[in-house]
Amino acid sequence: MKTTYFDNPGSLKIDLMLRGIRVEESLADIEAVSGRAGPGIDIVLPKGTLVNVPFGEEFTEDSPYLLKKGKRGYVISGEDGSGKVSAKLVPLPAFYGRKTTTGKAFSDIATVHGSYVVITPSPRCEFFNTSVECRYCAGNFDIKGADDTVYSIDEVLETTEAVLKERASGIVYLSIGFSQGDDGGIEFLAPYVRAVKKHFNCLVAVEALPPKRNRWIDETYALGADSILYNLEIFDKELFEVICPGRAELIGRDRYIESLKYAASIFPSGTVASHLIVGLEPPGSTCMGIEFLTDMGVVPILPVYRPSHGRALRIEPLTTEIIIPVYRYLYKTVKKKSINMNWVGDISMVTTPIEGRLLTDEKGGFGSVVESFYKTRLGARAAWGLSTLRRKLRVKDADEPSERRSGG
Amino acid sequence: MGVEIDRRSIWLLLALRGLRPGFFLLVFGLFWYIVSLPVPDGLTPEAKNAIAVFLLCLILWVTNAIPLAITSILAVVLIPLTGVLPPKETYSLFGNEAVFFILGAFILAGAVMHSGLSNRIALIIMERFGSSPRSLLLSIFGLAAVLSFVMSEHAVAAMLFPIVLEIAKALRLRPGRSNYGKLLFLALAWGCVIGGVATFLGGARVPLAVGILKESTTETIGFLAYTVAVIPLVIVLLAVGAFVLTRVLSIDIESVESAHEVLQKRIHGMGKVGWSEYSVGTVLVLTIVCWMTLGTTVGLATVALASVVVLFIFRLVRWKDIEEYVNWGVILMYGGAIILGASLERSGAAGWLAEMAVGEWVTSPLTAIAFFSLVTLLLTEGISNAAVIAILLPVGLGLAGRFEMDPSLVTYSIAVPAGLAFCMPLATPANAIAVSSSYVSIGDMMKAGVIMSFTAWVVFNLVARFWWPIIGLGGIG
Repeated sequence: MKTTYFDNPGSLKIDLMLRGIRVEESLADIEAVSGRAGPGIDIVLPKGTLVNVPFGEEFTEDSPYLLKKGKRGYVISGEDGSGKVSAKLVPLPAFYGRKTTTGKAFSDIATVHGSYVVITPSPRCEFFNTSVECRYCAGNFDIKGADDTVYSIDEVLETTEAVLKERASGIVYLSIGFSQGDDGGIEFLAPYVRAVKKHFNCLVAVEALPPKRNRWIDETYALGADSILYNLEIFDKELFEVICPGRAELIGRDRYIESLKYAASIFPSGTVASHLIVGLEPPGSTCMGIEFLTDMGVVPILPVYRPSHGRALRIEPLTTEIIIPVYRYLYKTVKKKSINMNWVGDISMVTTPIEGRLLTDEKGGFGSVVESFYKTRLGARAAWGLSTLRRKLRVKDADEPSERRSGG
Repeated sequence: MGVEIDRRSIWLLLALRGLRPGFFLLVFGLFWYIVSLPVPDGLTPEAKNAIAVFLLCLILWVTNAIPLAITSILAVVLIPLTGVLPPKETYSLFGNEAVFFILGAFILAGAVMHSGLSNRIALIIMERFGSSPRSLLLSIFGLAAVLSFVMSEHAVAAMLFPIVLEIAKALRLRPGRSNYGKLLFLALAWGCVIGGVATFLGGARVPLAVGILKESTTETIGFLAYTVAVIPLVIVLLAVGAFVLTRVLSIDIESVESAHEVLQKRIHGMGKVGWSEYSVGTVLVLTIVCWMTLGTTVGLATVALASVVVLFIFRLVRWKDIEEYVNWGVILMYGGAIILGASLERSGAAGWLAEMAVGEWVTSPLTAIAFFSLVTLLLTEGISNAAVIAILLPVGLGLAGRFEMDPSLVTYSIAVPAGLAFCMPLATPANAIAVSSSYVSIGDMMKAGVIMSFTAWVVFNLVARFWWPIIGLGGIG
């Protein structure tokens, strides 16, 4: 019998992400009723733990977990009655079924991942279909083709409005794939960030590539980004070069690290983050990455690698038992270094640092009160207000001439 | 877009942001306190309120907390509001001849610069007279001075700066290291500063001072009379400046051949003298002649504005060409300063203030001149020279009556030294431009500037003592 983790929603989340779930035949229409963020279904586990669980993929057929309809909602059960928990399916956001005035489906433009929504104004990535393409796909790009679509600012604004009206998300993530240039994609994203900031009182995170010069990081902060992600993905130097040849060649690991370090000195605590994919390098290496990034004030975000067809890069064995200590270490390290954990909150695709607490013996305490506060509408407004105030205090226009003391 | 991120503690930044509102609360609180005080002996309520407005503006001008022009506007608002002068009288003071003279001078200078005439003259003179390192240095120095006789010294500095910078680069002078590089930019700055005090046209200071004088006492100073009064000072300072530049500080290069190539290239690039250069030059010469001959009868502003009209009638300039040369901030600043000065004088506050502030130290016309020229020289290094005039002149005029002094003497004592800032880059754009080149450090400027400032004060007082009586400027005993 396979081990299951029904006693702890934190562990269960990791295990579900790793092994996926099977769905009872009677739930054939599951896709129609659940919010999908990529290949999976969004489920709320006990203690409000949100998870995006792979299903319907090759590797999920062996999963010990089964989703079925219970008397009072949904239930996830183990094999041979090894355990069960009640679960709620996150309904499909209503805006997914609607379109912009130009006829584009909102769901093509935005994807909800729990507490945040990802908007990719241009799904294009210049690495696609080239020899330097990343050996996996961890982004939000349509890997079925090198899509040249570019959504207009108005389309993005319409989408954002729909998302915020529905309160489907509190943070808007704007992301971009690789493009040649010194700016890491910020010049392209800038008008979108400005427009969203101009029209809505919401937090904006930017997922881009490290720019060649730090002044672009200043610009990113100044134009209204509240949070920034430069995703290193792999901490191990050699593996990084093998798995991410394009990034290694055209940006370089050192530049990633420099950019993250500099960004952490500009952006507020806990708002500079970097993905380290769990499962593409040994757990020890991931832990070294956690230590290294948190030393710089950067929050590591640890998505679990989901093997897709023809891209079996995963290290083996990769089990929840091996991974749990990594997430526990993540939580403890971020906490020890006093990095704010509230920015990276409920994300269905990832076990966030703050969720790592579920894997420890710690009780909630004051930290969880603050966390709960930031999940409220008032808390979201407070976060936005503080972030805006901070920017107002910190950003100075270098071109602004000082008062010249001239007289006649 | 260029941005800078201030990485200091957020609490410190908040505290610093809080300083500004706190400062204004304090300043306006002080203003309100003075307004609500009982009226002292020898003052009217209007005079007391005029002093309150004056002190408020004094603090704002000195601290530069808001732009100078906005401080002047504040004065315009507060004077009728506190009952110092009726609104009609207050606003009519703004339509002062000095303000319109300044406006006309801006447009004329703009036309000259836009036509390229000033640039051509500068290049030709430098090319012709700058055959050796010493003569090139003196030609820059002399040229900056002479051009500042007929144009704003700021405009001259801005115009000559790129040429001098190119010369320095052509000579391969190392910024901060080369002595000759320092000398080139000191020559530029000093030439502008010294030349700028020679006539009404070197800056708007003198018209402002004359405006305050006229509104406060109905007396005035003519275009030619002013130049005659200050020309010995200008000549001596030019001589001392030339001596310091060429003898005191060492020239560390042998040849300026490569600079000549740059100058020739630029002259060649300008082509032949165009119609607009001839025409604008002619208008400028005629205007200066009219200022000298008709200035006192028809008024300097009338001549200036008439010339402006002529420029437009003959389509020598378009409005959009000269718009960038018209500094509306300066015009607002001066208008407000004239109103403030006049309100202090008319309410009787100026005399009372002068008596209170400097009555003990100033015991004769000569000490008054020495005192005001010294205070002006010191103040003008730190704050705008126009603000210095706006602050000191009403007080000085208040004191003039005590010794039955000609008020124009006090006006000279403040208006002339106000333009003689040699030490600090912030004191005048000419110095700021020189320092911005990186060839001259603030330390270099201060060291050399102290010699010039001290010389200026001594020479000014000698001119006042020995020259002014000769030309009939009386009242010095």
